[in-house]
Amino acid sequence: MRCRVGGGELGEEVARLFGAGALRALAGYVPMYCWSSFTEVYLLREELLEAVDRVLSSGRVPYSAGLYAGRLRRSRPRFIPSHLLVERVYEALGRYVRALEASEQGVRVVLYGRDILRLSTLRCFEPIEKGEVVSVVGTDGRVYALGLSEVDSCSELERLRAEDVVARVIFDLGWYLRGGTVARERKYRV
Amino acid sequence: MPGYTEALSTVWDRIRSSISSRVEEVASTYGYLSYMVARYLEILSSWEDVLELLNAFERELPRSIRVNTLRFRNPGEVVERLQVLGYALTPVPWERYSYTVVKPGRVPLGATHEFLLGGYYLYRGLASLLPPVALNPTGSDRVLDAAAAPGGKTTHMAQLMGGRGLIVAVDVDRERFRALRTNLERMGVENVVALRMDSRLVPKVFGRFFTKALLDAPCTGEGIIQLDRSRKVKTSFEDLVRAHRLQVELLRATVESVVPGGLVLYSTCSIAPEEDEFTVAEVLESSDRVEVVDIPLELDLMPGLGEYFGVGLPDGVRRCRRVYPHKHGMEGFFLCLLRVL
Repeated sequence: MRCRVGGGELGEEVARLFGAGALRALAGYVPMYCWSSFTEVYLLREELLEAVDRVLSSGRVPYSAGLYAGRLRRSRPRFIPSHLLVERVYEALGRYVRALEASEQGVRVVLYGRDILRLSTLRCFEPIEKGEVVSVVGTDGRVYALGLSEVDSCSELERLRAEDVVARVIFDLGWYLRGGTVARERKYRV
Repeated sequence: MPGYTEALSTVWDRIRSSISSRVEEVASTYGYLSYMVARYLEILSSWEDVLELLNAFERELPRSIRVNTLRFRNPGEVVERLQVLGYALTPVPWERYSYTVVKPGRVPLGATHEFLLGGYYLYRGLASLLPPVALNPTGSDRVLDAAAAPGGKTTHMAQLMGGRGLIVAVDVDRERFRALRTNLERMGVENVVALRMDSRLVPKVFGRFFTKALLDAPCTGEGIIQLDRSRKVKTSFEDLVRAHRLQVELLRATVESVVPGGLVLYSTCSIAPEEDEFTVAEVLESSDRVEVVDIPLELDLMPGLGEYFGVGLPDGVRRCRRVYPHKHGMEGFFLCLLRVL
């Protein structure tokens, strides 16, 4: 694995997914990219930069650093943001984007690693694109999962049956219970 | 002049010769190795205290949680959400965000939505909260956590620092390191650089860089017998000496990583003097760049030992603090705050 501090790839992906206003969530941070078969992205505050520099200068790489921002990939979805980053984006924007609000029962099911169904989807927030990342938020405003949308717009939900899948979940917070000590490459089911 | 590590062979001779029929009888009754009980009598000085200690090791420890203000700005929200699940919690008087669980709820504490959201860290006792509180890092500190996994104390320090400043969290164990990474992410910690390597190499990578350091050293766990009864019989004296040697090397490296005027908090979840006072004494003896200072904790903890099986320990070691299950209602623990000169 190798790591590099700085670079615009994260900003490009965040702006592409959530709009230019979402870049406010990255203010005050410098991205760090660590890559092997995929690229993990971290957000570093200034206080961390000297320590990271000393680590890299010694020929080592950090296992993780700062705020985990997500994973860059070669194929679609090209960027899977972490739920922490998504929450910050929503805070910066003051609204949800690319989100499905799930019922309490829906959240419970999602945390067992199951997909989000039409019957559990209370609200849908554009833009939504088939095959792209969508977040699953609870009625408490927290992001509980990330999925890949099965629909191309929120209006398509009206045509779905109750048991139809709205998004295939690729990460849910239950992973912290189920997969806390497994290798990081297995984190996303994509 | 032989050092404190070498003195452990003398200690062992004296431990063996102190094993009386009463020691063997009590050890047999409670299921311990005889040499352990002989040491408890030396440490505590009275059979009454020894029996209270052994009885305390038979009791379950109450679980506790530390609400994570990095993810939930209002800690009351997490407490209320857990109360809805049936939990009853009482505040820990000396750690403002921590609670003892006095009544369990309907969902296991490690599986609630609040846990998955990073709302709290789960403890099997209270003593693990002591080292970060004693070291008291702030947002202007550069902190080394020299044995960081699985991350309870790292995330606690990050919270005390308000998510600012820097923590370099180092550990060598691959699986435990994954747990550390998971806990950092779950709890939304963003001021940590996590580095999987042998902590003894930290001075080579960083030089004298840190203003504060925590070494919660790997140990035999002779303070957490409540949590693992196999510890009554699985540690030989040779194991203790091996642990001591490693702890000395780790503590020396930790001290070497801290700037003059900086602080090092050494702790173990063990009441074994071989891993506690003798480790500190060995480092004090071999370096004139470090001294023991008082621990700023308003708790009535016991002082470090001044003598053990006839081996006198440096005066400063009395300023270290011991935590006993039968006196403090926590795991057995040892804390020592050092200032780098």
